[in-house]
Amino acid sequence: MTDIAPRATRVVASTGGRRRQRGGGPRARTIAAFLTPFFLPFVLFYLVPVGYAVWQSFLVVRRTGGQYGTSYTTFGGFEQYTKVFQNDEFWSSIGRIGLFGVVQVPVMLFVALIMALLLDTPLLKLKSFFRITAFMPYAVPGVIAAIMWSYLYSPQISPLVDGLKSVGLHPDFLGPGAVLWSAANVSTWLWTGYNMLIMFSALQSIPQELYEAAKLDGASNWTIAWQIKVPIIAPSIILTTVFSIIGTLQLYAEPAVLRQISSNISSTYTPNMLAYAVASGNNYQQAAAISVVIAVITFVLSFGFMRLTSKKAGL
Amino acid sequence: MSNTVTRIRLAVVAAAAGVAVLAGCSSPAPSSDASAASCEPAKGKVTLQYWNTVPGMDKVVALWNKKNPDIQVQMKNISNDQYGTIGNALKAGKAPELAQVGYDELPFLRTQNAFVDASACSAATAAKSKFVPWTWSQSSFGGTGVFAFPQDTGPMALYVRSDIFKQHGLAIPKTWDEYAADAQKLHKADSGLSITFFDPNNAEAFNGLLWQNNAEMYKYSGDKWHVSVASDQSKQVADYWQKLIDAKLVRTDLAHGSTQMYTAYQKNQIASYVGAAWGYSMFRDNLPDQAGKWSIVPMPTWGSSASSGDWGGSTVAFMKGNKHLYESVKFNSWLNTDPEALALENKLGGLYPAATAGSKLPALSQGVPYYNNEKIFDVFADSSKNIDTDFSWGPTQKTVNLSLQDAMAKATAGSGTLSDALSAAQATALKSMKDQAIPATAGK
Repeated sequence: MTDIAPRATRVVASTGGRRRQRGGGPRARTIAAFLTPFFLPFVLFYLVPVGYAVWQSFLVVRRTGGQYGTSYTTFGGFEQYTKVFQNDEFWSSIGRIGLFGVVQVPVMLFVALIMALLLDTPLLKLKSFFRITAFMPYAVPGVIAAIMWSYLYSPQISPLVDGLKSVGLHPDFLGPGAVLWSAANVSTWLWTGYNMLIMFSALQSIPQELYEAAKLDGASNWTIAWQIKVPIIAPSIILTTVFSIIGTLQLYAEPAVLRQISSNISSTYTPNMLAYAVASGNNYQQAAAISVVIAVITFVLSFGFMRLTSKKAGL
Repeated sequence: MSNTVTRIRLAVVAAAAGVAVLAGCSSPAPSSDASAASCEPAKGKVTLQYWNTVPGMDKVVALWNKKNPDIQVQMKNISNDQYGTIGNALKAGKAPELAQVGYDELPFLRTQNAFVDASACSAATAAKSKFVPWTWSQSSFGGTGVFAFPQDTGPMALYVRSDIFKQHGLAIPKTWDEYAADAQKLHKADSGLSITFFDPNNAEAFNGLLWQNNAEMYKYSGDKWHVSVASDQSKQVADYWQKLIDAKLVRTDLAHGSTQMYTAYQKNQIASYVGAAWGYSMFRDNLPDQAGKWSIVPMPTWGSSASSGDWGGSTVAFMKGNKHLYESVKFNSWLNTDPEALALENKLGGLYPAATAGSKLPALSQGVPYYNNEKIFDVFADSSKNIDTDFSWGPTQKTVNLSLQDAMAKATAGSGTLSDALSAAQATALKSMKDQAIPATAGK
């Protein structure tokens, strides 16, 4: 079923295209009427700003004389991009979230998968309760979650730290070596339930007959899970991975909030934080170039991963 | 982490739209500088926009509006993202007539042509004599233009837990050497007790300490800025605090104004606080149990002569596009020099006035109950007199402060020193000025 769905969409899309080519008449107008509510905001709030950011990234600031002078912008070619690539802080922020992603994404998705598989077994009681509980953190806005966790991490006021101390442990969640993983924990807490739900929905759409057939062949629950369920929901796992890669590259809220209580998170900790810091210093053109580079890296990584895995999975 | 396609789109749009909105639709042609404003009184009723961050300012403005039906003021609180809000408004060409701007951000906004020169109004130039000289100098950029009226200042002093000092037989430190010696004694007597904390994420506080040691970080001469952020005076201050940090005599895990900081004070873990005048209400309001335990004394000095620093304080600036300069000057003067207004601002907002008449306010010459009825404002008034008036801020101060903080955090985490942090800030100052096409060179 899951296998058929994408093909079906493709067929619809292509016939739609042919019809549009023939064009004209009331039909085209109807289509236009239906599409305008989408395209108008899409152009206004998506294409125009992106185009504007790209344009800004090609500008440089010049100034006419005097102590404070008068500034103006002019075309500077790739000057801003050269600066981005020469910026050590940019590369360290990329390296940092690279490390973050390589560890956090697999851990989170593995936990999500296990949870989804557990929810899908007949063994588990109170399913809807567990589903809601696991999904609940997603309902908490990222900033609030980060504030909540920063309270739990804070050595002066945290009941968690006090509890660990009473059993002889002295964790420093905000220390130079730990703070990245403390941020990763917030992300994992926030998104595991969400990813689980996507995988769980995919599991739900697997026809029961498949399981019956497998059982008749003598397959155990374990075999059914790993040999049947996981391969079938591979597209959802890939999808959640792509979302997670994108999310990692755009990491902002969690470290930005933790920064308020830990001096081990710099103002340029993640690429997005760097872009923000640069923009707040009135260097909009440089911030635009950084944003464009982040967007390109995100695009290349997520689509690269999709191509790689869809080929392997034979999709 | 991200969720759906919406989120992907949102993020790209946010990144791009942020830039787009901020940058507005300004043409690449040079925009006109702050000059040639006229000072004609308007015919009929005028409404001014005034943006600020001071608690209780709505009541001050209401008082003005009641007295001046023809010059009505609408205020907006922009505490959430002060400079972001001002920056956006400027780019969009929709700045208010008046806005609150900290001294350290004045040059930064000036390079964005954010202000209008009010010196066409004789009342504006005449106001000079009413303010503490360095505040006037910083808001007029040392020249003849009038871009803002000073509002408040943050003369620094030492807040002392006199009970803890007494308990450990310590004298009130007059110099930084004595302060370090006290720190040592306290720590020896009780390892859970520190003399103070050093917040690596607070460049403003550190700048105040540098200011006290006459570290003049920026000068403009011969058509360029001369940057000496990492001067010998600055390094002396940096080395001093580095020693205290290395010996673990000061805490480095507390952010200024955070719950954690108040908790540490609440638990009697810290014996003093190097702060500004506006801090008096902070302790009073957040640590009510410690009433009577605090004293405010002059800041320790580097030599024998009295010198002090300033931390914070701000101005009310005349913003670009202001079409009602005459009325704006009138309101701004009242707001920052009228005894009734100043008293209200001190009471509600904790402001320590920049107007010289401010120190004569009845409220500022009385004892303060929380501080054992000590006349603490006398200490701040003296402090105010001992501030180096030549100190000036750089045109990319915001960026420099961020870089200084990042490097100070590294130093307190054990990689590098505060002196290295000054060098990093120096490099950032030069680089950020180059990015903004502002001519600059290293050294005095």
